[in-house]
Amino acid sequence: MTDFHIILRSLRLRLFSTIVTMSSVAVAVGLLMALIILRNSGEQAFARGTGNAQLLVSRDASPLESVLNGIFYANPPRNPLTMEKYDEIIESFPWAWSVPLQLGDSYQGLPVVATNSDFFREFQPVEGVSWSFQEGRRFARPYELVVGSEAALKTGLKMGDAIPLTHGYGSSREEGHVHDNHLFEVVGILEPTNSPHDRALFTDLAGSWVLHAEDRMAHGDHDHGHDHGHDHDHDHDHDHHHHHHHLEVSDLTPEDKLITGIYLSVPSRGGSAVSAILPQAFDQLRRDTSITVASPSNQVDRLFSIVGSVDRLFVAMGVVILISSGIGILLALWNSMEQRRRQIAIMRVLGCPKSRVFSLVVTESAVIGLVGALGGILVCWIGMMVTAEQLRIQLGIVINPALELMPVLVTILATVGLAALAGIAPAMRGYRTAVSRNLRPLS
Amino acid sequence: MTDSPTQSALSIKSLVFSHHDRAGASFDLNIPQLSVAVGEHVLLTGPSGSGKSTLLQLISGLLEPASGSITVAGQSLGALHGAELDAFRGRNIGMIFQTFNLLAGFTALENVLMALMFSDLPPSQHRIRANELLARLGIERTHAMPDQLSVGQQQRVAVARALATRPKLVLADEPTASLDAENSRNAIELIRDTCREEGAALVCTSHDPSLHAAFERVEELFT
Repeated sequence: MTDFHIILRSLRLRLFSTIVTMSSVAVAVGLLMALIILRNSGEQAFARGTGNAQLLVSRDASPLESVLNGIFYANPPRNPLTMEKYDEIIESFPWAWSVPLQLGDSYQGLPVVATNSDFFREFQPVEGVSWSFQEGRRFARPYELVVGSEAALKTGLKMGDAIPLTHGYGSSREEGHVHDNHLFEVVGILEPTNSPHDRALFTDLAGSWVLHAEDRMAHGDHDHGHDHGHDHDHDHDHDHHHHHHHLEVSDLTPEDKLITGIYLSVPSRGGSAVSAILPQAFDQLRRDTSITVASPSNQVDRLFSIVGSVDRLFVAMGVVILISSGIGILLALWNSMEQRRRQIAIMRVLGCPKSRVFSLVVTESAVIGLVGALGGILVCWIGMMVTAEQLRIQLGIVINPALELMPVLVTILATVGLAALAGIAPAMRGYRTAVSRNLRPLS
Repeated sequence: MTDSPTQSALSIKSLVFSHHDRAGASFDLNIPQLSVAVGEHVLLTGPSGSGKSTLLQLISGLLEPASGSITVAGQSLGALHGAELDAFRGRNIGMIFQTFNLLAGFTALENVLMALMFSDLPPSQHRIRANELLARLGIERTHAMPDQLSVGQQQRVAVARALATRPKLVLADEPTASLDAENSRNAIELIRDTCREEGAALVCTSHDPSLHAAFERVEELFT
């Protein structure tokens, strides 16, 4: 027989109260830990997406929207830029590199990025880490497709598969029509980067321009100058299959060559990651009111300052719940002392010192805290997995929540400490139990 | 009251204890002298309220006298305080109660093991000692909870627990108060036989005159 044995028996005697108290601790710990870990891994996830793109130019309504659309593929950008504008921007400053992007198409709800080969050569999804391929190679010709690691996993696309793209990001056919005038062949599958780019597919700009130019022409024929909306029904779809105009890249006009964003990077000096001339480049671009200029890392920081106030509220709520569950332990044990006066009196008669009664109650409280904390970590882990999956499905934000040893240990110790603290008042009640009065026969 | 000669399991001198309850009633206990020799069995009688239970609690160190001395197995209780006194009680004094006071939620075996937790016996010997005592007292269902045992079995577990630490002195507080005449005799026989086997002195309180014959020495308390 050990003290631990006595504590376990005591907890079992009040099984319902024990389970309720432990559960309340578990929920509080789980909530608190999940919020802290999700916030950290969320920050990392956003930081990973921007990679080495120092500036992003688009015609979105705000810099934040520009970053959410251009890097995290939240929505298809509405307003395009012409290649003339692209050339003008490129010539306006000695950029280290620039990459044009056109977003707006998708495959099974996953974004398709039309770009040039500089995307793989210059842009790094995670700073310092270049793209690498599980299979195949970069696209080299129009209608060739490179698939991000998660997109490959989700769609089951394999090397050599040929697929049509869908206009818009909607996952169902009703939300966007299929560009069935050209099929795109999978020529490469990327290694995971743990960034939003993993869920994208990449193709050559020229092919995408041809696709849209042919589509516009087909719509023009079909609608005879009516609105070019995409709400046509299937009967009409069938008709316009026969009206495709086949164009070559050389047939494209400047109006066909549209992009939705530009990734830019300024030259760095002496290997410094942040160049001193970046603010200068930023200010210069901002003078052009027809475009939106965003610093991706600043926008991510801004996003977190917005989200931060909300998650501080959640963390505060978690702390309040944790403290209230500590009070719950205190009350549960305090009330149990009333029922345990006889038990304590008998133990005292058998030779148990007051100090040991005190330590037994405090340890019992700490055990409730410990089991609650362990349960909370389990709750947290399950909660994080569910949240991460939902974030990935709903927002395309890839987060890798991980239970790191230090925060887990600190949480366990803090919870056990709080629980032990909550046990002090009941333990004092046990310590002061009058032996002779509580040994009298029950009437 | 007479003072027994030779080596004492218990020796009380000039003991005074006063108690005033919240209702204003007061209670005084005066015992000029009382000795119980090693292995001796004494019955303390007296009417209800004469202080029999109070005296047992004074002897076990659970109450503190206003004056006088109590010596158990050669150790003056007045010289011990706090944890020392608790440890001394655990090793040298066994107690049996009218309602047995077995710990609810703990098996018969665990009730006996609980007493051994606070003894000098090495932990490796605890289970052996507890099982041996329970077997000797005829308890087969050692893993039964107290409420799963008959009254007689509960009493035997209480006796086993009181004697587990091989105490020099066993205090039995009205152990037969809730039993009929036949069961009272059996219970006293069990307690006395076990104390004799273990070499423990016994101080038993009762207001039942029919028990006088079972003891070689009877002392009466008056308030």
